[in-house]
Amino acid sequence: MTYSAAVRDYLLAFADDEHLVGARHTSWIGLGPFLEEDLAFCSIAQDELGHAIGLYGLLLADVGELDTFALLRASQDYRSCWLAEIECRDWNDSLVRHWLYDRAEALRWEALAASPDADIAALAARAQREESFHLAHADQFMSRVAANDTSGRIVDSIRRLAPVAAGIWDATAAESDVLAEGFVTDSSADLAARWNDQIRADIARWGLAAEWSDAGVVAAQQHRTQRSEGFDAFHDDLQRVLSLDTAATW
Amino acid sequence: MNVYEVFLKKPGRDEFRHAGSLEAPDPEMALMYARESYARRGEGAEMWLVDRADVLVADEADLAVNVDKPHRHNDGSLVAARRKDRREGAGSDE
Repeated sequence: MTYSAAVRDYLLAFADDEHLVGARHTSWIGLGPFLEEDLAFCSIAQDELGHAIGLYGLLLADVGELDTFALLRASQDYRSCWLAEIECRDWNDSLVRHWLYDRAEALRWEALAASPDADIAALAARAQREESFHLAHADQFMSRVAANDTSGRIVDSIRRLAPVAAGIWDATAAESDVLAEGFVTDSSADLAARWNDQIRADIARWGLAAEWSDAGVVAAQQHRTQRSEGFDAFHDDLQRVLSLDTAATW
Repeated sequence: MNVYEVFLKKPGRDEFRHAGSLEAPDPEMALMYARESYARRGEGAEMWLVDRADVLVADEADLAVNVDKPHRHNDGSLVAARRKDRREGAGSDE
């Protein structure tokens, strides 16, 4: 499949988001709050990495390039949003990121499921089945901890991370061309409006009160060309094994 | 947290089998965790969960009295042995 440069950039943004948020989620392997949650959360991480492989696969002529492409690009060539990049050391932050990200991810796949491109539509259909589980998991866990959030830690996480999550909707530079081609029908701005309604409805349903102000992340990301603070250390970690011998055959 | 016992059934005529147990705060989350803990590789087509508090547990002492009753193990071997003896002892009567 030959995609236009605009579509490639659009798909790369989604692929990098899935890759990096999946990789960040995996940091909880063996450290989850209890065994069952450890398994469930890492299963979600694995799904996100699977989505990334599917999306990268559409961009690569030869799947053999996958590791090099996913891990050894220069940092300015990534198109990830900051929410997917940042380290969340505390479980409450990781949980809140999972909820904010998956709310957005489900909308992004929904928009791609209607694409006239058969490859992306098929990938979206598969991902949507997994997303329904991710959303159920986020809702179930968040609703339980929200009911016991006497210390306000969950509300604090939402206040800090919701403005970063808004950066998911920072469109790649040529998104208007992607829309003009008809590859996807909903603009990032349209999806952002729906996402905002959904997360505010969730917060109200959980009995929480959380307000936040725009932290300017969308503008600072500059159409996803700027990396967040701490990205280089994360990138180094991801590359560590592969860069021992870049010519090795795995 | 409550403990739930998980049972899985493969497609076809196999019966439900005990797969293991898990801890969860409530039934809804128990179903979600059971799927991730015991069925994430497609190990079953149907799944039952039972709250361990709902399991009736028999007294082990009541069960122990039946351990030493070989006469209840009717596998037919005693009858077969007696018929064999009879056959061989009777010789030309066969």
